[in-house]
Amino acid sequence: MKRRTFMMSAAGAAAGLALAPRMSFAAKGQIDWYTSSDTNILDFWTNIVKPGFEAANPGLKLNLVDAGDGAGIIAIGERAIAAKQTNADPQADYFESADALLPAGAIKAGVYTNIKAAGLSNYSKVNPLAIESEYSLPYRGSQVLLAYDTTKLKPADAPKTWDALVTWIKANPGQFVYNRPDKGGSGGNFVRRAIHQANGLDPKAFKVDNYTQEFGDEALGKAWKLLADIAPHLYDKGAYSSGNTQSLQLLSQGVVTMIPVWSDQVLQAIEQGVLPAETGLVQLQDLALCGGFTRSVVIENGANHEASLKLADFMLSEEMQSAILTELGGFPGVSWDHVSADLRKKFADIIPQSIPTFPGGKWEAAINDGWYRHVAPNVDRKS
Amino acid sequence: MSEFVEKAVSVPTETAAGRRPIGLLLVAIPVFLVIWLVIWPAINAISRTIWRTDADGHSSFDLSSYAFFFSDRYSLDNLAVTLWTTLVCAVLLLVICLPIALYLRFSHGRLPAYVQALAILPMFVPSIILAFAFIRVLGPNGMVDILLNAVGLPKIRTPYLTPWGPVIGLVWDNIPLTVLILLSGLGSVANQSIEAARDVGANTIRVFWHIILPRISNSILVALSFSVLGIFSSFTLPYLLGPASPEMLGPFMQRTLRDVQDPIGAMTQAVVAFGFCILFGLFYVRSVARNRGK
Repeated sequence: MKRRTFMMSAAGAAAGLALAPRMSFAAKGQIDWYTSSDTNILDFWTNIVKPGFEAANPGLKLNLVDAGDGAGIIAIGERAIAAKQTNADPQADYFESADALLPAGAIKAGVYTNIKAAGLSNYSKVNPLAIESEYSLPYRGSQVLLAYDTTKLKPADAPKTWDALVTWIKANPGQFVYNRPDKGGSGGNFVRRAIHQANGLDPKAFKVDNYTQEFGDEALGKAWKLLADIAPHLYDKGAYSSGNTQSLQLLSQGVVTMIPVWSDQVLQAIEQGVLPAETGLVQLQDLALCGGFTRSVVIENGANHEASLKLADFMLSEEMQSAILTELGGFPGVSWDHVSADLRKKFADIIPQSIPTFPGGKWEAAINDGWYRHVAPNVDRKS
Repeated sequence: MSEFVEKAVSVPTETAAGRRPIGLLLVAIPVFLVIWLVIWPAINAISRTIWRTDADGHSSFDLSSYAFFFSDRYSLDNLAVTLWTTLVCAVLLLVICLPIALYLRFSHGRLPAYVQALAILPMFVPSIILAFAFIRVLGPNGMVDILLNAVGLPKIRTPYLTPWGPVIGLVWDNIPLTVLILLSGLGSVANQSIEAARDVGANTIRVFWHIILPRISNSILVALSFSVLGIFSSFTLPYLLGPASPEMLGPFMQRTLRDVQDPIGAMTQAVVAFGFCILFGLFYVRSVARNRGK
């Protein structure tokens, strides 16, 4: 009995320690940096950017923190707004990936820095196609592709249009899986590609401010029909993995033949041997799957504002932009003219002519809710 | 935590009146924490879902979010799968843990010590690690499939991404707590009473039914209400192992709040979850009260 009592109290004490609130204050010279991206991005910052930046700027340090997801970043943004109002320390300096429009009112409150006006020496190199707002800095891009197992599907037979893809999925039941659209961009952008398909292949039809209930129901309803139509032919008669990584896992275990993937994630997986070197990659030619640029935001009222601007400028340097290509498998945020000539030649195949994008805002909530209601359940998986 | 509360509460009743302030002080911290972190947010959520501000800025009594929840097929399916998972897990836990606890109580030597260590192991494995290990072992083309294939048997129908995925994970995760509580309950079964029953010719089943079970029924209730509370509100395992739809209330709430950006809907789901958890909690409180009445 004694031993048991001891174990219970020890477990209780340990739980208490773990749950005790931890206080922290922003340290001088330590940039509090947050990301909502996947682990590969955090690894890239930990292994490449942090040592490079700290060596180039003695006395400055990066504190890399994973905020989980977009909503996590928004929560910290809200904290920064609240801190601004009370003149407190927001304990945040730099968001690796953020939407300058979220949380609503952050720009108006003066929490996000106007990057264009901040006088970064490298700002003129930024790819003009990528600039969405003066308050955010596109520093890397990524695109969703289809990855497939070349031992089961010959590259010559890989589908290159949406219709060919649907035909292939139906002819090979159980061999395709995409993740839930809110749990990772690979499945999310596959779903958005279906929305484009159902609405005349025109990405311009969807804007961040043109969502209405009627338009949304009509446009998305057509896409849900397309997706529900292929659902019975997906992995396990309509199962959806719970994230980008889980889809890669299913491909690497040889369970499925094809999945949508982020270009940077799949190139890194191949590099690390998680996926075999002969993994095939293909982009749809009628309209590419969506992708986009990741934009960083600098917090105006952060304790290390000057240092954060230095970091932003550092990210646009040729050294870092080349590392995004070679180490991360992403593509640069600066125009291709500002990338070294050998790299430009080497990556000619993935230099995108255009990257279709899909707006966030109300569309995002409508897609997330609608997909779960109309696509996910409509399948009898008991058999 | 409740174990400590219970112990702290019992101090003043057992000892001299002079120690009463210390006892109260010991209770004050957990009570304060519970009020701050549990009761206040709960009241807050209830009031914000029934007293709502409309577009014109008028606030009024409004039950529409509840009406929506209970008329929405999708939400009800999620509630149903949560209750189903909880029930199945509770039954499986009892079926698995009671024999383990009985074995540990009535056997001696080295082997039971190893069995106990093994039974408690899940307590020290974070559920996210458990989930990925599960996918590697029971997932499609996982270790089980490879082993079956090696001896020429067909693959299993994997429980990954079906409602059985979270059930298996949650049962494994809750074994230690259930075994420990049942074991402490079995501590109150005196060897003499079992020997006396054996002497008058009772067989194993009768001993279990008439001597052991009545003594530990309280512990069973406590163990089940504890694990049921945890399972009902679980998040990680149903999220990683379960199907996209129907989903358990934990992932559903998180998704409604973050991805559908509907805080009122998420709070409504939370209040419905409170409601069910209070029901389970009542079992626990009732059994503790009955125990102390003895």
